[in-house]
Amino acid sequence: MKKRIELGLLYSRSGSYSLISEACRTGALSAIAEINSMPDLPITFAPIERDPQGNIDAYGPLCEEILRDSDARHVVGCVTSWSRKEVIPTLEKAGGTLWYAVPYEGFEASDHVVYTHACPNQHLLPLLGWAFARLGRRGFLTGSNYIWGWEMNRLARDVILSASGEVLGERYLPLGSLDVERMINEIRATRPNFILNNLIGPSQYAFLEAYHKLGQEDAHFRPETCPILSCNLTECELPAIHPDAVEGLVAAGPYFRGATGWPQAQRNFGSSHEAAAWSSVYRLAILLSGHEDAAEQSLAQLLHDAPQGSEGIDLSTHHTALPVLIAQVENGAFTVRERFDAVAGDPYLARGRNPIAPGAPRLKVVS
Amino acid sequence: MKRKIRIPDLGGARAYILHRPHATVQALERQLRAIGLTVVHCWPELPAEALSGDFVFFDADQGYDEQFPWKPGESPMPMIALIGTEAPGRIEWSLEAGAHAQILKPVGDGGVYSALLIAQLAFEARAQLSGEIADLRRRLDERQTVVRAVTLLAARGKSEAEAYDQLRQMAMAWRVTFEDAARRIVANHDEQRKSDDRRDLG
Repeated sequence: MKKRIELGLLYSRSGSYSLISEACRTGALSAIAEINSMPDLPITFAPIERDPQGNIDAYGPLCEEILRDSDARHVVGCVTSWSRKEVIPTLEKAGGTLWYAVPYEGFEASDHVVYTHACPNQHLLPLLGWAFARLGRRGFLTGSNYIWGWEMNRLARDVILSASGEVLGERYLPLGSLDVERMINEIRATRPNFILNNLIGPSQYAFLEAYHKLGQEDAHFRPETCPILSCNLTECELPAIHPDAVEGLVAAGPYFRGATGWPQAQRNFGSSHEAAAWSSVYRLAILLSGHEDAAEQSLAQLLHDAPQGSEGIDLSTHHTALPVLIAQVENGAFTVRERFDAVAGDPYLARGRNPIAPGAPRLKVVS
Repeated sequence: MKRKIRIPDLGGARAYILHRPHATVQALERQLRAIGLTVVHCWPELPAEALSGDFVFFDADQGYDEQFPWKPGESPMPMIALIGTEAPGRIEWSLEAGAHAQILKPVGDGGVYSALLIAQLAFEARAQLSGEIADLRRRLDERQTVVRAVTLLAARGKSEAEAYDQLRQMAMAWRVTFEDAARRIVANHDEQRKSDDRRDLG
């Protein structure tokens, strides 16, 4: 008789970032289905799902509802950093755990969160290192007025300036704003080597389309000489963007469709969002399968007691090691251009902010 | 878009926690390790090695001056108070002890990173201000020397403004501060007068 374990799911099925939450949700649900059909595992998962509908104020109460009204101690969910920060006090109070499967800006290591996607030493630093070697060190920084954009650009500025590069501009748009003209004009005037895109949602889509038009007018602004770099764009958002506008975009991530090696699965995923959510549920299933009372334990206890180890989850930071892939959109799909060995998540950049990932080949600077 | 504040890298820094063994200390240590610091526990006194530490967390509830191997308010590193009882006397004491930031007990899931940054930046700002104040104080003390030097230079037939200007140019030529130049002139003069006196005696 298998033990039935309730597992919370907290993803918004509507709202401005629903493409990302749907990708994560798909990954989590497919992992649940796989776990439930594995004859060797002593547990099954029963999803307890709540939908905040993209409303930030709904996350805390709905997370509390899951932890109060069901036996679930673990919740897979949240896309935005804001929503993650909203649920942490609830998790702390109820002794619950959030499995967070989205790239984020780092500088967090909650006792109640497992971070299964990349943080800046796994996306931004290697991506900048890649760009420095191939394109140059003159960057233009864009972002949404939101913690992701602010923190990513703050770090990018530090890294670019310490590499004797130049930040030609740093511009933000309010969340949801499509008013990209000023950014485009500044980029046209400053002619950078690359553009770091930390815009999210519709602002990002509008920006990519406007930038593509700029490239048609002036050949400098084409992907060969001045591409757009992104640390969180995956296949799951491509349907929202005009195919021409996203062609040539360069992104960093632990997985792109068709890549092998991570996560440890015998199949493909739609995107790294889906893969990371899948990996969250899969790791949790292994952790819960090894010993008695595992389902009732706090995260710290569970990671400590699991007989087969902590499933790659670092005991002090709750981050994981991930491969770093640099990929470029080619004919509508990401093609991997460079692959670095797995690197441990270092949310506070305690191991420094060198832009080249360890194990990277020596790169020649093209100027 | 120049940034005034540089966020320090904390990886590898060493934190001393001066607190009796307690759940709060565990929560604090967990956060410090996640941020990348090494942690040393001590109670009831800081060992001499703490002088080379990068941060000191101290108990504001049960702390007392003799725990620290330095005078109150003169810690050579940032200090963070762990405050449980928000009693005015205890807060007053932790301020006098030199707290640059504080965390309320019980310590939960967050708060340590911001306390580290605020303490570090407050410590640096305070050190810079102390340096500036010491310098200003020294220059204030030298006022009389400056007046004497200007008077001496003016005695050679210059106006006061010309003498002042000459002193500034000498300071520049000697690459010393205005006050140091004044001291040199006064000392020179005193020296000369002494030898003149001796000649008179001879």
